[in-house]
Amino acid sequence: MSFGARFLCHPEGFPQRQAGDAWGDRELTLDLPGGPYRVLGLSAAQDAGVRATFPGSLDAGAASGADGGGSPGAAAIPILLLRRAAGDFLPVDVRGWEYGLDFDWSPAAVRLAGLGLVGRLDWLPDRPGMEGALWTPEDGGERFPGVFENFLRVLVAYRLLELGGAVLHSAGVVKDGAAFLFLGRSGAGKTTVARLSLAQGADVLSDDLNAVIAAGSGTAVGSGTAAGSGTAAGWGAAGASRVAGAADTTATATTAGCAVLKLPFTGDLGERRAVRPPVPLGGLLRLEQAEADALVPLSRAETLACLLACTPFVNRDPHRRERLEQVLLALAAAAAPHAYTLRFSLHGGFWSIIKRK
Amino acid sequence: MNDIGGGSVLRRRPDVRFRVIDEEGVVVRQSAGEVLVLNDLGTRILAMADGLTPLARWIDSLLGEFDVERAQLERDVVAFAEELVAQGLLEPLPAAAAGAPGSGGGGR
Repeated sequence: MSFGARFLCHPEGFPQRQAGDAWGDRELTLDLPGGPYRVLGLSAAQDAGVRATFPGSLDAGAASGADGGGSPGAAAIPILLLRRAAGDFLPVDVRGWEYGLDFDWSPAAVRLAGLGLVGRLDWLPDRPGMEGALWTPEDGGERFPGVFENFLRVLVAYRLLELGGAVLHSAGVVKDGAAFLFLGRSGAGKTTVARLSLAQGADVLSDDLNAVIAAGSGTAVGSGTAAGSGTAAGWGAAGASRVAGAADTTATATTAGCAVLKLPFTGDLGERRAVRPPVPLGGLLRLEQAEADALVPLSRAETLACLLACTPFVNRDPHRRERLEQVLLALAAAAAPHAYTLRFSLHGGFWSIIKRK
Repeated sequence: MNDIGGGSVLRRRPDVRFRVIDEEGVVVRQSAGEVLVLNDLGTRILAMADGLTPLARWIDSLLGEFDVERAQLERDVVAFAEELVAQGLLEPLPAAAAGAPGSGGGGR
């Protein structure tokens, strides 16, 4: 089936560039990893929907009613909200259906289509960074936050890749000052492990998507801490030092300089409203359900394979595969002493063997 | 079933990415988002699937590395090659195209 044909009446009419009628004149800034992200052209209802969905990620200026200026020293990634007629979308029976977006990739753009969603990510030759545009028929209401979040998930994944990081299908759990990423696709047991970890007193970042970045990538990554810290400073070299220093103070061994960044993209567990600073990476754990708990070291090749399988959206893009492999190889190398297959039972005893490592 | 034998020439499909790390092969079938890790023998075989070298030459090469009878090795290699073809990782080249300039593998 050709690109967009599952969702659009006329996929051949997909917008060739980021242009159209804005929904309104509202704008706000989201401070998420890789950001800030400046959302432009919102209607009042859409503005309220984004604020209600991502309250912990609103830039302090935007939250106080200012113009939503981006983080100092970091150029904001623009996201345009544009109108699209509801009649442009095909009716889709979603019963018993696993939702996945349609993608089309080229060197300078990514096109995506989904339920109530037509989107573009563009890299323009005369401007640094990327730009996003979302065409939707949803003016606020129940469906708009989901449409916007689906677009934002893709945008953040591409932005982090650009900056030397990755968004990973994982349950992110913080215990003893270190973040552990339990890796696996749908059905692997991410939510189960997160729930068992909660019962052991750990914090769950998200049971669905978490971001990770390796030190030395030379990037500035939005801290995602604007509301919490009162500063929206990017997390650059100084931040990396901070993370390394934090690792020194914990009882848990951590990977050299790798940090996990909380995303407000959760499944059943994880507080999307909460913000927190980067947490040093304690380990990568590939999930495997079993009768008894055990840790089996992963080779670098196995770690890379696992990471590749768990990087949504970007891992099927033929134009960015070299970049993705570079980033994940660096992460696999940094995480090597702390990368395992976790065979876990439902008894929740796996934390005792993780601690022993 | 593909008719694969000693004269067959195979190559990695264009959407297959292949990288060797510490003697293990990481194979990505990009169009499906699938990732595999191959052991050293599987890695050697995938590396030889360059769109130029006939399968019989793979066996010549491997015979020097493994203590096994040629007939047994040939059966194993053919079976493995068929499996990789079935999984969409390798594709046989038509006889006329085999060895032609530019018929090398699509991955690394």
